[in-house]
Amino acid sequence: MSESPPGPFRAEFWRSPLRGPWLASILGSALLPLIVICAVTGFLSQAAYNPGLGDNSQLPGGGLGVDIYFFSWPTTPSWIYAFTQGLHVISGVAAIPILLAKLWSAMPKLFEWPPVRSVAHSLERASLAFLVGGSIFVFFTGLLNIQLYYPWSFSFVPAHYYGAFVFLGALALHVTLKLPVVRRAFRDQGVVRPLRDDVAHTRAEPAEHDSTAPVNPAPATMSRRVMLGTVAAGSAGLGVMAAGQVVGGPLRGLALLAPRGQKLGDGPNDFQVNKTARAAGIQPAGTGPDWRLALRGSRNAELAREELLAMPLQTHDLTIGCVEGWSTTQSWTGVRLKDLAELAGAPEGADVEVQSLQHGGGFSHAILSSGQIADDRSLLALRVNGVDLSLDHGFPARVIVPGAPGVHCTKWVSSMTFRHA
Amino acid sequence: MSRLRDLYGSSQLHLLAVIVTMSFALYGAFRIAQGSDALNTFIWLGGAIVAHDLISFPLYSGLNLVAHRSLVGPARGPATERSVPLINHVRVPAILSAFALATWFPLILRLSADDYHLKSGLSADPYLGRWLLLTGSLFLGSALIYAARLRRAGHADAEGERAG
Repeated sequence: MSESPPGPFRAEFWRSPLRGPWLASILGSALLPLIVICAVTGFLSQAAYNPGLGDNSQLPGGGLGVDIYFFSWPTTPSWIYAFTQGLHVISGVAAIPILLAKLWSAMPKLFEWPPVRSVAHSLERASLAFLVGGSIFVFFTGLLNIQLYYPWSFSFVPAHYYGAFVFLGALALHVTLKLPVVRRAFRDQGVVRPLRDDVAHTRAEPAEHDSTAPVNPAPATMSRRVMLGTVAAGSAGLGVMAAGQVVGGPLRGLALLAPRGQKLGDGPNDFQVNKTARAAGIQPAGTGPDWRLALRGSRNAELAREELLAMPLQTHDLTIGCVEGWSTTQSWTGVRLKDLAELAGAPEGADVEVQSLQHGGGFSHAILSSGQIADDRSLLALRVNGVDLSLDHGFPARVIVPGAPGVHCTKWVSSMTFRHA
Repeated sequence: MSRLRDLYGSSQLHLLAVIVTMSFALYGAFRIAQGSDALNTFIWLGGAIVAHDLISFPLYSGLNLVAHRSLVGPARGPATERSVPLINHVRVPAILSAFALATWFPLILRLSADDYHLKSGLSADPYLGRWLLLTGSLFLGSALIYAARLRRAGHADAEGERAG
C-alpha cells in the first residue's frame, strides 16, 4: 500500500472527537425522514400540474417519458396543494442544518487513501460524488428558486426534478450499504446514550478500520448533545420560518427570513402576489373596458366584465398554494367554471385551456381537468374580499380552483377553450 | 461467488444494489444530458461538490480553528473563568447564524433584490437587518447564559473557600 500524501489524506489529520459512526447514524436517521417527505411531496408537486393534460408538464418530454401520474389531481381538500407544497419547502429548509452537519461528519471520507481499493469501492465512491453533489444541488436550487435568485442558465424545474433522481438514487445506495453500520453503532452505543455525556465525559468513538472516528482525537470542547442540540435548533428555527409563510395569517410574522414573511398592507387586495402585473408585462389598455373574455367550445362567446358580473356569482374561501411554498386564503367571488362550460356548450368531460393576457413566460396558460371544472367552488373570480380584484391579483378576471397549484390559477384571463379531453 | 468477490471487491448483493440504484441516478443524469443547457447543469452539479467540500468546509473549519486557538488555550486567568469555557458561547450562536445565512443568503445579501421586488412587489431591504438582529439576539442570549454560568461558578468557588 502506498504512503498517503500529507494533510487531510492522513487519518491523523482529522482530530474532532465527535466524528464517528454513531454521530453519522443519528444525523442520518434525522435527515432521512425529512428527505422522504421532501421527495414524496416533490413528486406530488409534479402530479398536481396534471402533467398528462396538453403541455401542463413543466418537464421536457413529459417527465418520466412514461405517464406514472395516473391520477387526476383532486380539488378536495381545497388546501391540499398548499399542504403538500408547504411540506415540501418546510422539510427541505429544515433539512439544511442536518445536511450540513451530516456532510461535516463524513468529510474524512472525501480524502480516503488509497482513493480506490476495488471495483466495488470505486463504484461506491462515485456514488458518493452523486450523493454529495446531488444533495447540495437539489436542496440549494430549491432554496434559490424560492428566493427568485437564478445565477445559472438552466431552467429550474427539470434540473431540480432530474437532479433529484441523481441524488435519491445515490441516497438509496448509501442507505442500503450503511444500514449495518447504523445498526451496529446504535447497538454498541445505544441510540441516545452518547447524549448523556457532558463535555468532560465526551470520548471519541472507537477508531476502527474504514471508520470516520478519529485515530488521534483532540480533547472534546463540545459535547455531542450540544452539537446536535445546535443542529436541531437550527433545523427547527428554519422550519418555523418556512412554516410561517405556509400557515400565513398572524403566523406569517414567524417567517422572519423566509421570502414571504412580509405583509403587503391591510387592504382587501393586500395579500401575497406570485407575479405582479408589471412583471407579467400586462398593459393597462388590455384590461380596460374593451376587455372581453373569449369563450370557445361548441359555441363561441365574448363576454364583457359586466356580463360576467350579471351571471350567478358564488363566493368561496379558497387557498392559493404557491409552488414556492407560501400560501394565502382569501374570499373569492366569481362565476362558476361549470357555468362557463355550459355557456360554451362544452362536451361532456371536456377540459379547458385557460389563456392569460400575459405573453410567454411560464404559466401564461394552463389546462384544467374536467374534474377541476366540475367542482362547484372552481371560479373565474372577479372580486376578492368584497372588492374588485387588483391588477396584481389578475383584474379583470382570474381562475381560482380549490387544491390546484397557484400557477394554475391563471390571472388576467383572456380566453377559455373547452375541448375534448 | 468467491471469484466475484475477488474481482469485484464485495458481495453480489452489493453489486445488485449498485446496479439498481445507479440506474435511477444515471436516468436522472441522462435526462439532464438530453435537456437544454445540460453542460451548465452538470457544471453546477459538480460545482456543488467544490463549493461545499473545497470552499465552504475549509472556510468554516478555519474559522473554528481561529476561535479554538484564541479561546481554548493553556489555563489562564482567574479560576472561575477557566471553569466555564467561553468557546461554545461563541460557536453555538455563530453556527445558528451561519445556518440562517446559508439558507437565506440570496435575500440577505440582496442577490435577487430587483427580481424579487418586480415579481412579488416586496422589498428585499429588510432581510439583511433581520439577519443581523437575529445574529445579535443569538449572541446576546448566549452571552447572558455565559454570565449566569460564571456567576454560579463564582458562588460555588466562594462557598468552596468558606467551607474549606
